[in-house]
Amino acid sequence: MIADGPRQVAIQGGPLPEVLLPTNCPGCGVGLQVDELREHNYVCPGCGHHFRLAAEVWIPLIADEGSWNERWADVRSHDLLNWRVPKPYQEVVEQLLEEGLNEAVRTGTCTLAGHPIWLAAFDFGFVGGTLSIVAGERLARGMEQAAASHVPYVLVTASGGARMQEGVLALMQMAKVNAAVGRLHAAGVPFFSVLTDPTFGGTAASLALLGDINIAEPGAAIGFTGPRVIKQATYADLPPGFQSAEFQLAHGQIDVVLPRTEIRPLLARLLEMHA
Amino acid sequence: MTPNPLTVWQVIELARHQDRPYSLDYIRRLAPDFIELHGDRLSADDPALVAGVGTFHGRTTVFLGHQKGRSLKERVARNWGMMHPEGYRKAVRLAHHAAKFGFPIISLIDTPGAYPGAGAEERGIAAAIAQAIMEWFRIPVPIVAAVIGEGGSGGALGMGVADRVIMLENAIYSVASPEAAASIVWRDNSRKVEAAEQLQLTSRDLIAMGVVEEVVPEPEGSASADYDAAAGALDEALQRHLAPLLEQPVEQLLQHRYERFRYIDSLIHAEPHFGPKID
Repeated sequence: MIADGPRQVAIQGGPLPEVLLPTNCPGCGVGLQVDELREHNYVCPGCGHHFRLAAEVWIPLIADEGSWNERWADVRSHDLLNWRVPKPYQEVVEQLLEEGLNEAVRTGTCTLAGHPIWLAAFDFGFVGGTLSIVAGERLARGMEQAAASHVPYVLVTASGGARMQEGVLALMQMAKVNAAVGRLHAAGVPFFSVLTDPTFGGTAASLALLGDINIAEPGAAIGFTGPRVIKQATYADLPPGFQSAEFQLAHGQIDVVLPRTEIRPLLARLLEMHA
Repeated sequence: MTPNPLTVWQVIELARHQDRPYSLDYIRRLAPDFIELHGDRLSADDPALVAGVGTFHGRTTVFLGHQKGRSLKERVARNWGMMHPEGYRKAVRLAHHAAKFGFPIISLIDTPGAYPGAGAEERGIAAAIAQAIMEWFRIPVPIVAAVIGEGGSGGALGMGVADRVIMLENAIYSVASPEAAASIVWRDNSRKVEAAEQLQLTSRDLIAMGVVEEVVPEPEGSASADYDAAAGALDEALQRHLAPLLEQPVEQLLQHRYERFRYIDSLIHAEPHFGPKID
């Protein structure tokens, strides 16, 4: 049988929720209606600025409608270090949970254009999407299961790095998740990493850049040390576009920079090719 | 160990003190025949990481260590022990050397962090650290790491994936330097002392959290006061941890290394709502 070329794949898995966003585009300043933005996958129709999305938007964007099966959503953060300033850590976490966020990483199984996958999405709204013990645990458990069952793993990152309030145990999550990424690679399971704005620090220096294929959204800031700290430490003038997705593409860290509307169809084709 | 009467900030000052023994001060005592090797075989040599081979208790061993400098000139040359991407690539190259010949690896950690500069970013510091961390889990020889001074952030962890991790009494190991943590939490790095007190970064904190296997006592007046005594205590501890690892079958060694980090946060596994270790 002769293949009839790539199937048409929808740019999103299902309807996206309405989310509160700035009323003016941070890219071009134009006023935007939520409905209009939602129709454009939260990309400014004028200038192409990609709004940062919560995990609750990324999940329906990637997963086929009705296929999402979230795992380990009940795993909770605890204040092991008795962190008190500027706000008690336990209070911060509990308030975010009340607001409907569920930790910096959510994970589960779903299908993408019919292909079974594991999906993990960072949530920048939860303490800056920082890698925490719970985030690391959800990532490692999912990767272990993906490796054991030979199901491809798709990651969407948005993170400031490791979570200060969990101290050295947050740092150790980098080793924990990278060990699990090693299991994916050893098992021959595809790992596709989608980097969104921003991806920095311990997240960039662990799983985010270890995909078999790394995909980034246009203009996403990606790097290890943030520009503010680089300027403080080295008094350097950073050129425009420093640490952008396009910069990382030019420096060999990213395979492809693609607008949000083309990411899901690309993932579908890659899943077919790497099946 | 005697009760530690020092404040957290005093411990940090000891850990960072310019008279504190650095990696080469230890390596020359642990393996007097040490031969330094250079280069990542891709583009450069990173002087912030010393690497090479030496005889440790009768066995050829690969030594790796962050190297700070004492004089201003040497500090500049060593980049204050802050590695560039080439350093992590050199470490991985030497790890493969160890794997080829069956040599154990000793890694000494003493860095404020990876280099926070534009050049390091351009040459892929994040991916270099990520790949090093992932690679350590595949290296089929025993690895023992010791935090001898500052264990700062991902730059330290990039050299800190091992079968056993030990720590000198007045060393520190942290998710970020107190200055960086203050800058992140308060956007004000002058609040470093407050941040340091929150971070739980001393050897006593680390052993209580189960992140290190042993705290090696330092001589009276800290390691700075007596290099030979400090090196002697480190030598004894390294050998004691290495010996049983050398007897382990490779598969078991790698499985234990995986589990060491997979469940390193086992404190929290005991908390309600965290769920069982394996689903």
